[in-house]
Amino acid sequence: MRPELKEYPLDSLFASTFDIARKVGRSTEKERAILLKNVPYVSGLLGPLLSLGKPATTFLEIMAEYYGNLINAKKQGKKVVMTTFCFDPTIFYAFGNLVPVTLEVGTVITSILWKRGSFDFMDFCTEVGFSETGCSSQRGAMGAYLAGAGVDIDMVAVNMGGVCDTNSNAYSFAAQYLNKPFYGLDYPAELTPDDVTQYHRKDYRALIRFLEEHGQCSFDIDRLRELLDEKRLQESLMDELEEMQRLVPNPVPGIFHLLIYAARYTFSGGKKFTQMLREMIEIVRNNAENGLSGLGKPEKSRAFLFYIDNFSFNVGMFDWLEKNQVSHMGCMLSRTFSETAPYRTGVPGTTFSINTKNLDTMIDSLADINARMPMTRTIRGPYDAPNMWLEDSLSLAKIYKADCCIYNGTPGCRNTWSNVKLIMRDLEKHGYPTHLVYADAFDGRVENWETTAMRLDEFFKIRGLL
Amino acid sequence: MKSTLFNDAAQTIDLSSVREFKENGGKVVGHTCSFLPVEIFYAAGMLPVRLRGINTESLNIGDAYYGPFVCTFPKALLQQAGTGAYDFIDGAIITSGCDSMRRLDECWRKMGQDISGTLPSWFYYFDVPNKPDGVAFEWYESRVRKLIRDVEKKFKISISDEDLRKAIRDQNVIRKAVWDLGLLRCEVPTFITGTEAFEALIARTVLPRDLYAEELTRLIDDVKARKDPVSNTKKRLFLAGSICDDLELVRQIEEAGAVVVGETVCYGQRNTCAQVEVEGDPVSALADHYLSGSICPRMFGYYPLRLNTLVDRIKQTRAQGVIMQNIRFCDLHGSENGLLERDLEKLGIPSLRIEKEYGALSEKGRLRMRFDAFLEQLDTQD
Repeated sequence: MRPELKEYPLDSLFASTFDIARKVGRSTEKERAILLKNVPYVSGLLGPLLSLGKPATTFLEIMAEYYGNLINAKKQGKKVVMTTFCFDPTIFYAFGNLVPVTLEVGTVITSILWKRGSFDFMDFCTEVGFSETGCSSQRGAMGAYLAGAGVDIDMVAVNMGGVCDTNSNAYSFAAQYLNKPFYGLDYPAELTPDDVTQYHRKDYRALIRFLEEHGQCSFDIDRLRELLDEKRLQESLMDELEEMQRLVPNPVPGIFHLLIYAARYTFSGGKKFTQMLREMIEIVRNNAENGLSGLGKPEKSRAFLFYIDNFSFNVGMFDWLEKNQVSHMGCMLSRTFSETAPYRTGVPGTTFSINTKNLDTMIDSLADINARMPMTRTIRGPYDAPNMWLEDSLSLAKIYKADCCIYNGTPGCRNTWSNVKLIMRDLEKHGYPTHLVYADAFDGRVENWETTAMRLDEFFKIRGLL
Repeated sequence: MKSTLFNDAAQTIDLSSVREFKENGGKVVGHTCSFLPVEIFYAAGMLPVRLRGINTESLNIGDAYYGPFVCTFPKALLQQAGTGAYDFIDGAIITSGCDSMRRLDECWRKMGQDISGTLPSWFYYFDVPNKPDGVAFEWYESRVRKLIRDVEKKFKISISDEDLRKAIRDQNVIRKAVWDLGLLRCEVPTFITGTEAFEALIARTVLPRDLYAEELTRLIDDVKARKDPVSNTKKRLFLAGSICDDLELVRQIEEAGAVVVGETVCYGQRNTCAQVEVEGDPVSALADHYLSGSICPRMFGYYPLRLNTLVDRIKQTRAQGVIMQNIRFCDLHGSENGLLERDLEKLGIPSLRIEKEYGALSEKGRLRMRFDAFLEQLDTQD
């Protein structure tokens, strides 16, 4: 890895970037225009983002606070827990002295903000022995922490055992490489049976013991209740946004998906996240009342991304969809599967509820939430099993009136690449034109943007979707 | 005349001994992972056979169901199933060994819809947790109990605790014999090549139990009686890494001038020194045995245990170097090999990392060059 990269700690760079960026929301139009001229690579994203108004500014504040917490953790006597995006971070905030760092969020930020993405960090992982075929979502930011260009990690806690090998493997590797304690929640192939629920809950209690032991403190029950109450409120706000997304045209701007799930993975239960959701609802409600689409122009088509989004090339895919007047109907990262969600199927055990009655019910709720995080819920078992990938995709595509389905992921995803051909065949059989993107969501070197865009053009043209 | 039973078993899918077992009314069940307690099937009077993808000449079927960024082992296995190579099995059990292997469940089922006759009448998914500790142990034990119930129901049989204990005792005898064979490989000079030993180890996963036990005893007696050792000048190497039933790989390493004295690869000698407890609840004993040890990197967070096991085996076999291989897209072993390389080198144990596709003779020339270079490196360290 280039030595200069080690001189600028990743988290500090993010903290200062977001600290400056959040102030842009208070700038004059003239100041903003000058700023955008000076940041040509990110101006394509930053300009439209800031034009969204309050939620964008609040999002930047969330990220500034998140990375600010991280770089100040040690000074404040706090411990840093390395974790994954599929892990609900509420429990860490309930401890008070734990600060989470979510690798995938860091990888996404570098993919969006830096022209070079996190290539140097990805390659550093390979230099120190990590498999080059491992998922790029972790390899990006992970390289910085392995190289000592990130904050010091105290422990690793994740939840992808049984769901995603490459994810679990990356965190297990990082824990071993950095010589830090590791805890991994484990998930069976099924979701709904009672014995599975009991297994989740027992495992989660063992995780709490691990956090108590290595965090050297206990969590605050009152704080946990407060966080969960806030989380329940956030769920109801997200439900409202999801409900409005069913309208034609879809009044929700596509980029809101990214802002919501990024905030959820980092700041679940935090009040600023609630504020951002309220600000979003205001915009979306206004669009809905006026029959406007979130695209800012008429909607021609609606695409459901049945895996994840593409963050490379300055989030080029979001831009492509918007320019082509295609509404982004969310992806696997978008949905929480709370019991109140408009997309719930009503099958017992498929959703979670938040019960703050006592300590046990709160811990059970956290275990249930974790078991229904993205991927953890949907791709743990056979794709065609009840309540798994195919059923979820069909159900979501139907209620959001999608015109087509798109798979976008990373070549490092052994799980989905092992059955994506099968699910595509089934989606087509059910009448959904389905497109397979061979690009890497986090690593622009795998397929250049021109090729990805050309294939999208071709797909939408040939299938008559525009 | 030397028996070719093990050699045939290591290099052939359709074995006469297995056909014979079937002709005598026995049921054969194919399986994919070493975390499956095979004693259950022996207790049921059935023959568990480890599924393999050897002798695959094309991956056109495997590639039709799996995506491109996937390990060639399950693809080769699917290919064999799709071309009828496993038409003799009465059932198949897919285990969550890794993401690619567990997806064999769906790929095979879908292939069964497209190519009639390729899906066995009993097709079962066996869930194994990704850690070997307390809460996961309970879960695994419950899965083993469920499997027993499901086998009983499907094949209309009853499996008693005493049946299980007998199967455990029989397998313990084999475990002991396999360990004894391993000890013979530890001797300097050794009287058995790695290729010959590996044949015997692979054969264990496919041959009927009694036939195997008899032949293994004969082999051990034969090795003990041998007068001519494998050349003393050959370097002693240890083989680790991804799943491997590739006899040609071991042969190739030995043709380069080495002798393979031990391995921790799946199909090889792993933790077979441990005996399954015969007293008490046999299901708990099986669960305890199969889930402990954590020799496979699918058990996340247990690397130190695996490193210690490997180092102990290297010392025991007096290996002078380690070859760590992984099949391309096997991230679990690929990454673990990176850590092992770092730690083994720190301990002064020379190691070589190679990445390859599954299957005999793939990339033979490139691999031979790597082996030659590694052996030269070892020579310079003498």
